[in-house]
Amino acid sequence: MDYVIKLKDVSVSYLQNRKGLHSVKDFVLKASFISPFQKHRVLHHIDLEVKRGDSVGILGPNGTGKSTLLRTIAGIIKPDEGLVDVRVQISPLLSLGAGIELELSGYENMKIALALTGNYNKSTRAEMIEKVSDFAELTKEQLKMPAKMYSTGMLARLAFSSVMTAQPELLMIDEVLAVGDRGFQKKCKNRLHEILENGATLLFISHSPEEVKDICKRGICINEGIKIYDGSSKKAADVYSKLF
Amino acid sequence: MFKICFNLPKKPVMHAKRRYIIILFLIYKNLQLKYKHSVLGFFWSLLHPFLYLLIFLMIFSAAFPAIQNYPLYVLSGLVFWIYFTNATMQLSIVFIKNAHLIKSFNIPNTIYPITDLGSELVSFLLGLIPFMIIMYFMGLKMSLNLLYLIPVIILFSVFIFSVGLILGSLNVFLRDVGILWSTINPALFYLSPIAYSFKIVPERFKFIVKYNPLYHFLEIVRNVLYEGQAPSAHYVGRCLMITSVAAVMAFIIYRKTRNGFISNL
Repeated sequence: MDYVIKLKDVSVSYLQNRKGLHSVKDFVLKASFISPFQKHRVLHHIDLEVKRGDSVGILGPNGTGKSTLLRTIAGIIKPDEGLVDVRVQISPLLSLGAGIELELSGYENMKIALALTGNYNKSTRAEMIEKVSDFAELTKEQLKMPAKMYSTGMLARLAFSSVMTAQPELLMIDEVLAVGDRGFQKKCKNRLHEILENGATLLFISHSPEEVKDICKRGICINEGIKIYDGSSKKAADVYSKLF
Repeated sequence: MFKICFNLPKKPVMHAKRRYIIILFLIYKNLQLKYKHSVLGFFWSLLHPFLYLLIFLMIFSAAFPAIQNYPLYVLSGLVFWIYFTNATMQLSIVFIKNAHLIKSFNIPNTIYPITDLGSELVSFLLGLIPFMIIMYFMGLKMSLNLLYLIPVIILFSVFIFSVGLILGSLNVFLRDVGILWSTINPALFYLSPIAYSFKIVPERFKFIVKYNPLYHFLEIVRNVLYEGQAPSAHYVGRCLMITSVAAVMAFIIYRKTRNGFISNL
């Protein structure tokens, strides 16, 4: 067993609303007794094996199933068929600010974010919070303010830091690396390299081939739900660029 | 064939613990959000039943002279009704409200309604303390029989959870379920014997109230809080039956719909 993720012949579909029924009103007016939903396949027969310590960049046009792939691996979506085998704890960073409550203070949001990503631990709590606030470059006064008073960049830094300060086993990032100002972006990249050096596995969705080449060794290209390339990140970036 | 397995070689216990931590944090978050930035804080939630109580006392107490100790009669029904309506309203939008989290974290979807019910239950119980004191002055007998409230509240909560889960699941697909529920709610209030007694309902309409599940719950609540007795076996049986039917329905509807949540949120 030297893989941490294994997908075998995985197909995923979404339920699509066939008749535009979105309310009880529609339901009664259109008197539909046939199932209003239709399956729409997003991913077709994906095979994927990721080894411990791999850094995989996932490239592809919008709406071709990249996020769906990560959600399937994270166990958020169940596939129609195929086998998903994940052997490590996942730290997902699929959308920035999921779970951030604008009415609560930075501290409280930080604690919730740590709990949601599985990094909350009573014994190391104080230390973690310190690390996160250090990384996010937020002062104590700022952290006591409700999050609605934060700028977009500050919010992103808060959310990002809660995941990045821990040493995750498997990190998933969905297009959310470029947050904050230049300095913070640089810091994030450095930290990401550090996490990888410590043996973490990374799945990274991006629209920037340069970023993928810089961070990942391996690259996957997905188009219309089919894996069209799997190999070095440089070649994957080329394949991706040729799609347009 | 579809097979999914998540092998966690290291301490699978951690997983249960993590789930527990998440539940606690989300309950804490809900309570914080509810009360933090309001001037009166927690007292807002007491104001609601209090206002109703005052209105009923001023207007209806003269209308129903047959009911002994009318204030206690109203208040005992009212606090449970408000728990029901607040919690079901919350639960009807629970999946929509948490769409962001549902799409980003692998947390069982049932955690969200559980935490919402949990926070409603906490505020209900906290509110019950001052109201029990008021009820004491209204003539509530302090006896060990009050302990029957614990199983009654548990049963009632399971019923609320089932109703809420049905509403919440359907609301993901048919977005006016929540609106419909808030329209039906006042009607349900007047169809429940909260401010009036079941006896005054005309014979030919009694069946309508009898088909209202809340009527049966109100009976067992009043057995304890108003009469100071153990809940009558007849109504306990009815409530158990209603709750089981609701729970089974909720389970089926949730199971049928949950796979479509992500695509419809």
